[in-house]
Amino acid sequence: MMRELTALTRRELLRLARNPQAIATSLLLPILYLLLFGQAFNIGKFLEGPVLSFVLRGAPTYFSYFSAGMAGFVAVTATLFIGANVIFDRLFGVLKRTAASPATAVSIFGSRLIAGSIQPIGLAFLVLGLAILLGHLGLTGLEVTASVGVVGAVEIVLAIVILSVMFASLFLAIGFSIEQPQTYFAVVNAINLPVLLTSVALYPWGFLPGWLADVASYNPITLAVNVLRENLFAGATAYYPYGPAVYLLGLFGWAVVMNVLATLLAARALAPKR
Amino acid sequence: MASAAANAVTVEGLSKTYNGTVRAVQNVSFDVRPGEAFGFLGPNGAGKTTTVSMLTGGLAPTAGHAVVDGIDVFRDPHAIKRRIGLVFQESTADSDLTGRENLELAAALFGVPRASTKQRVDSLLERMQIGDAADRLAKTYSGGMRRRLELAVGIIHAPRVLFLDEPTLGLDPQGRAGFWRYVQELRKENGMTVFVTTHYLDEADTICERIAIIDHGHLVAIGTPSELKDRLGGDVVSVRATRTGPEVEAVLRGLPGVVSVTKYDDSYRVKAPRGEELIPTLVEACTRAGVGLAGISLKRPSLDEVFLEFTGREYREDEGMTATDRALRVGQVQQAFGRSRR
Repeated sequence: MMRELTALTRRELLRLARNPQAIATSLLLPILYLLLFGQAFNIGKFLEGPVLSFVLRGAPTYFSYFSAGMAGFVAVTATLFIGANVIFDRLFGVLKRTAASPATAVSIFGSRLIAGSIQPIGLAFLVLGLAILLGHLGLTGLEVTASVGVVGAVEIVLAIVILSVMFASLFLAIGFSIEQPQTYFAVVNAINLPVLLTSVALYPWGFLPGWLADVASYNPITLAVNVLRENLFAGATAYYPYGPAVYLLGLFGWAVVMNVLATLLAARALAPKR
Repeated sequence: MASAAANAVTVEGLSKTYNGTVRAVQNVSFDVRPGEAFGFLGPNGAGKTTTVSMLTGGLAPTAGHAVVDGIDVFRDPHAIKRRIGLVFQESTADSDLTGRENLELAAALFGVPRASTKQRVDSLLERMQIGDAADRLAKTYSGGMRRRLELAVGIIHAPRVLFLDEPTLGLDPQGRAGFWRYVQELRKENGMTVFVTTHYLDEADTICERIAIIDHGHLVAIGTPSELKDRLGGDVVSVRATRTGPEVEAVLRGLPGVVSVTKYDDSYRVKAPRGEELIPTLVEACTRAGVGLAGISLKRPSLDEVFLEFTGREYREDEGMTATDRALRVGQVQQAFGRSRR
């Protein structure tokens, strides 16, 4: 099974590498957000001291707060089209060929999950790196005010990896259960924006009405960016009811649920038809 | 029916009903002998692809039993996938991979030993005459090259039974002839059993040792091409008279050597062992009886005639094919094998 998984993952990565336009397009969104939205929407300048710290939960500037949120958000946007690849592979017969081989559903699904998670993970770290770099180029940049130790770094990596895997699983689940690309894109659009707007990727915590803060607390993007913000900003832990490990655990729960769902749907889609 | 163990394929009482109402395949039974080229013919919607899908583990049957290369297909659909080769009617090669990468992927999925993968891939690329294009993306291949790549992918693991589902659909005559030449070479070398569905009766006539005809989900005839043609009872003289009726039929039936007379639309199909000798007598008898003739033609036994006999309608190939295309294709397919069957 490892050989099947490796071969199918290689196929996915080769296809990705041979589509530089898709990679360039996926870079455009986070760069525009950082260069335009993040620079212009500097609400922190109207606040200062403890109020600012409360509103941004310990982040020194809105851009710093926002950068961590963007790292989580791109992990979602970069997985959006993974399910579409399943649909196009079905339309062009590639999935039929793979399903006719002895490859197991777990290998077929797993290879797409692995390859599909690599890009968002890479993009999320690129966003963090670019946000820090902007600060050295005379623009507003990400200010890391905490000393990130090994544990903190591992927690940040885990948060981004688990978030990427979770959303890759979700969109693969949709891809394996829908046949028409138009339907897929409609469903994905219906999910994408509500997921973003019920998280704290962009909103300052302190501005949220109570009900939205409650909803956002369980949002997987929120869980991931909480881990990032607690580790990146000194004193942030005082504003969060739980430590990063708790948020990681919640995020892991989301990922397990999505992964099981997607595996079941993939197995059903690849099983002999009834 | 020979024992399941002795056959490459044994099918008993196979049925498939979709949504409880659409009966795509109904109680079909046949067997395919080891090393045989077996043709499965029928018009669109007859149940060919449904049958192939069931025999290759892609579709669960409603009823019946099938054993392929010693494996009970419906008990272990996963195991059967490792034992058989399958070439689909549509292109399934990955356009974004090169020909070589497509074959390497297939080798990994079908469990070709790592040590022999490179040799196997190189050998198939050369054999299928795509060695020069091996490192080009499959999306740049011509239709013929893609079909040959599909065939190479289907036999990467040297299966003992190869299923070909309309494998030459959309190919030009030269491409078809080349495709079948590769298949025949593989059969000769490896003794591989080939189960083929095709629209093209002349291809089946030339390539297949036995043929089954399926229509509306029922198996209506099975035998060697010669046996099926012999069942026609000889040549067919198609007679279009200026009028029809029992008296015309009586004239035709009264001719010496006539085996049967059947009315189709506004024509009569008159079967006789020697059609060319019957025609002068037929013209004379009709003239004497006052039956005017609007047209008369002689048809030698062919699978087209066999199909008409068993299904009651003419076989329709792809509608865009001209008579010239068809004549050219027949010549090229037969030339590829240096033989033709009556």
